[in-house]
Amino acid sequence: MKTITVTVNGTSYEESVPERMLLVDFLRDRLALTGTHVGCTYEGVCGACTVHLDGEAVKSCLMLAVQADGHAVTTVEGLAGEGGPGPLQRAFSNSHGLQCGFCTPGILMNMSDFLARHPDPSDEEIRSGLVGNLCRCTGYVHIVRAVRDAAREMREGASEVQA
Amino acid sequence: MSTVENSADWLGARLARKEDLRLITGQGRYLADMVLPGMLHAVFVRSEYAHARITGIDTSEAAAMPGVVAIFTGVDFKDTVKPMPQPVVKPNLPARYPTFWPLAIEKVKFHGEPVALVIARDKYVAEDAAECVYVDYEELPVVRDPEQALGPDSPLVHEEDGSNEIFAMTLTGGETPEEQAANAAAVEEIFQRADVVVAERFRCHRTGITPMEPRGVLCDWNDSDGLTAWITTQRPHIDRLALSDLLEIPAEQVRVVAPRDQGGGFGVKAPFYRENLAIAYAARALRRPVRWVETRYESLMNVGQERDQINDLEIAASKDGKLLAVRNRGVADNGVGTTGVYWGFVMPFLGAVELPNAYTWERGDVSLRCATTNKAALTPSRAFGHFPTRFALERAIDMVAHKLDMEPAELRRKNLVPSLPYTSVTGEYYDSGDFVKVWDNLMAQADLPAFRAEQAKAREEGRYLGIGFACGVELSGVASELLVPMENQPGYGAATVRLDPRGKVYVFGGDAPGGQGHETTTAQVVASLFGIRPSDVVVTTGDTGTTPFGSGSIGARAGSYFVSAVAKACAEIKDKITRILAHDLQIEASVQHFEFTNGEIVYLGDAAKRKPFTEVVERIIMFPINLPEDEVGGLEHTAFFEAAKPMICFNADCCIVEVDVESGNFSIKRWVTSEDVGTVINPNIVDGQMHGAIVQGLSNAMFEEFVYDEQGQQMSADFEHYKLATAADVPDIEITYAPTPCPHTPLGTRGIGEGRPSSVPGALSNAVCDALRPWGIEITDLPLRPGSVWQKLRETRG
Repeated sequence: MKTITVTVNGTSYEESVPERMLLVDFLRDRLALTGTHVGCTYEGVCGACTVHLDGEAVKSCLMLAVQADGHAVTTVEGLAGEGGPGPLQRAFSNSHGLQCGFCTPGILMNMSDFLARHPDPSDEEIRSGLVGNLCRCTGYVHIVRAVRDAAREMREGASEVQA
Repeated sequence: MSTVENSADWLGARLARKEDLRLITGQGRYLADMVLPGMLHAVFVRSEYAHARITGIDTSEAAAMPGVVAIFTGVDFKDTVKPMPQPVVKPNLPARYPTFWPLAIEKVKFHGEPVALVIARDKYVAEDAAECVYVDYEELPVVRDPEQALGPDSPLVHEEDGSNEIFAMTLTGGETPEEQAANAAAVEEIFQRADVVVAERFRCHRTGITPMEPRGVLCDWNDSDGLTAWITTQRPHIDRLALSDLLEIPAEQVRVVAPRDQGGGFGVKAPFYRENLAIAYAARALRRPVRWVETRYESLMNVGQERDQINDLEIAASKDGKLLAVRNRGVADNGVGTTGVYWGFVMPFLGAVELPNAYTWERGDVSLRCATTNKAALTPSRAFGHFPTRFALERAIDMVAHKLDMEPAELRRKNLVPSLPYTSVTGEYYDSGDFVKVWDNLMAQADLPAFRAEQAKAREEGRYLGIGFACGVELSGVASELLVPMENQPGYGAATVRLDPRGKVYVFGGDAPGGQGHETTTAQVVASLFGIRPSDVVVTTGDTGTTPFGSGSIGARAGSYFVSAVAKACAEIKDKITRILAHDLQIEASVQHFEFTNGEIVYLGDAAKRKPFTEVVERIIMFPINLPEDEVGGLEHTAFFEAAKPMICFNADCCIVEVDVESGNFSIKRWVTSEDVGTVINPNIVDGQMHGAIVQGLSNAMFEEFVYDEQGQQMSADFEHYKLATAADVPDIEITYAPTPCPHTPLGTRGIGEGRPSSVPGALSNAVCDALRPWGIEITDLPLRPGSVWQKLRETRG
C-alpha cells in the first residue's frame, strides 16, 4: 500500500492504495467517478477511460494510481463549467454525437485536449485525432460534426472575449 | 436543433435527446457503475482448450486465499440447476438442442467456455484466485471446419447428439419432402433453359457487432422478495422467465432490471446466457449481492461472433436481364450452440429466409445446414443472420450483369418487386413501401452517367474508380407470426401510459434499449399526441417489476411495435379525457372534435371552449366527481400493438471507390444511401442509426475477423487483433430518404436500423469489382482487404 495525494476535478484526495491499483479503478471504485469507463481489457485501445493528467489526455487504464501521485486529474465529471455543460458537450448533444454514451466520456476528454491544440481542425484532422477512441454506435459521422461545431463555437466565443 | 412551434410538429423534429445530459456529464448509470452493500465480485475461469475432457479441477489454493468467499465448479450445478434447453429459451424449430449447465461439466467444447466461478470480496483478489484454479485437461480432436463437421468421420462436439448437424432446413417448395423435391425439379428445369447462369461459392468470415460495453450482471437475493437481477440485456422479461424456470424460483420472486443506460446491444445482449444463471445461483447460495463484469477478452472469446457461412449460390437469368430462379446451399459454422434463445442457428435460419431480397424470382430452392464446431456459439449481431446471404446475393447479381454486359443498377431496377404487398419465394411477407421509388432516388443521388464519364477519364490516367450498388429489405419489428416459431416469443409491442395529477406523462415499456434514443422518440410521440412538451414525458424501460411484458429490444421493434403501442394507449386516454371534457363543457362531442395542442385541449366547434391539458388531467385524476354516467377517475392505459402481417423497411446503398491496382489498396470516395423508413420521429436519430449500421457493415467487411487456429485457439480476443473501424478508417456517409408511411402502424412509422448493415458488403465489393472490370475480377470472399484485392490482381494481371 502507498499513500498518494491526487487532485481530481479540483478536489485534493489523500488515499492509501495498493501499488497495483489502476488509475481507472481508483477513479471509479474509490472516488465513485463512474463516468470514466472501461471498454477494453486494459490495453489502451478503446479510449473510453480517457482522462486528463495535468491537462493532457491520457488513458487511465494504462496508468497506476500511484503514478498520479502529486498530479491533477480531470474526469468527464469535471468537464462542465459552472454554467453547465461546455460547448463541446453541448455540441455532442445538438449534433447527436452520441448514442449509447459509453465511449462518450473518453471522446469528450480526448477532444477537449485536441481542440486546445487544434482550434480550427479539418474533418480529416478530427478523424485522425479520434483514432484512440472506438465508437460502435455512431459510425463517427455525427461525432466529427460535433467536434467541428464545437471548434467553431469555441473560436467565436474566444474572439468575442477578445473583442 | 429545430424550433417547434406547433406541438404536432414534435413528430419529425430534430430534437436533442433527453438521454444526453446525463451521458455527456458522466452521470450515466451502466451496470458496472452499480454497487450494493456487501457486494462480492465474480470472475470466471475459462477453458484454455477448444475440446478437452476435464480430468480434475484443483481449487484448494485459490479457496485458501484471503478474501475468497466461494468457488463453484460445474458439478455444483448438476443437481441444483435445471439444464438448458428449457421451453422459454427454445425455438419452435426442429433441431438437436445440446444439453448444458452454467459451467462445463466433464468436457469443454470451446476455447473460453466457463469452467469455474470464483467469488471474492475484491475484484483484484477474485482475478488472482482465478489464476490459481488448476484444471487438468485431456485434449480431444477439434471440430473446426463446418463442412468436415457434417461428414461421417468427424469427431462430435456434443456426443449425445450423434451428429454435428444441429439444424437443417429447406425453406422453399412446401412442407413435405415430395413437395420440396417437385419444387427443386422445377427450379432445375429453369436453370436448364436459362440464358445465363452464375454459380459461385461465397464465403463470409466470422465477425459480428461488439458493443463498447461488455456484458455484466449483478444479482441480489433476500428470502422474502427472492432474486433481483440487473443484467445487460435487450430482453429482461425473457431473462426473468428463464431464471425462474432454470433456478426453480417462483416467477413472482424474480425481478430483472436492464439498466437504463446500456453501452450498446446490437443483438449481442439478446440471448439468455449461462453466466447470468451462474451469478444468480451464486447470489442465492451465498445470500450476498454478486456482480460479474465481463472483460473485453471474455467478450471477444464468447459473444458477438456471427456471419461465418459458406453459400453455394446459383442464379438463373434470361438474356434480357430478367432474374428467373435462385438456388442456394448454405453451410453455417454454428459454433458450440450453447446459448439460450438462439442456439447459434436461428440467425442463419433467418438469413436463409431473407436471401431473395427485393427481387422477383419465379422460383427459389434455398436450404441450409448448420454445423456444430468447437468455437463460441454464433450470437446475434445486427443484420441478424443475413449479412452473409445478402453479400452473396448482391455480389452474384453483379456477376449476372457482368455476364450480360448490363449495368448492375439497371438489372436491379428491372427486377425489383414492382408493388407491395408481396411474398418472397422463401415465404417472407413484404407489407408495404415502394422499392422503385427508393431505388430511383438513389440513382438520382448517384448520377451514374456522370460517374461513368469520370471513371472512363480516370482510367485513361491510370486511376481505377468503381461504383457499387446493393439494396436490402429489412424487418420492421418481428410479428408473432414469425417470432413464435423462430424464438417461442410473442412479437406484439406493449406500453403503459400513465398520467399524473400534474399532467406529466409516464410511459413504461418492457423492452430494453441500449443507445437508440427511445426516451426521446417516445417522448416526441407522446408530446405530439397530447399537445404537450417532450420534457413533460418520462420513459421507463427494462424493469420487469414495473413494465408490461415485451419480448425485448430486437429486430427494430421500437419504431414499429413499441411506438405504435404507445400511440394506441395515448388514443384510449385521449378518448376518455374528451368524453369527460365534453360532459364538463356540456357539449355533444367526442375525441375527433378536439385538438390537443400547445398545452391546451381545444373544442374545434368553438375555439373559446378550451382548457389547459394539466387542468383537465388533474380534474379527472384528483376530483372524480360529477362524471358522466359509467365513468370513473384516473388516467392510465396499457395497449398492445400487433400488425396483422409482418412489416418491413427498405434501403439501398451506393458506394464509390478508388482502387490502387499496384497495391490493392482501396479507398471509399463516397457512400450515399436511399431509405424508406416510413414516418420519421426524429431525423437525427434515424440518420445516426444509419451511419452506425453502415460503418458496422464496413468494419465487418474490411477489418473485423475472429480467427481460430488449427487447435481451435481463439487468436483475436483483444482489440489489437480484433480490429474495429476507427474514425480515420471510414468515410462520411450521406443519408437520403424516399419514404412511404407504413399503412399498418398508427403513425406511419417503421422500425429501422437493425438489418441495415446487410447491404453494405455487397455495395462495397461490387464497387471494387467495378473498378477492376478491365481484369474481370469477381470477389467472392469476405473480408475484403487490400491483400485479397492484390492477390486477385496478381492472379489475373500476372
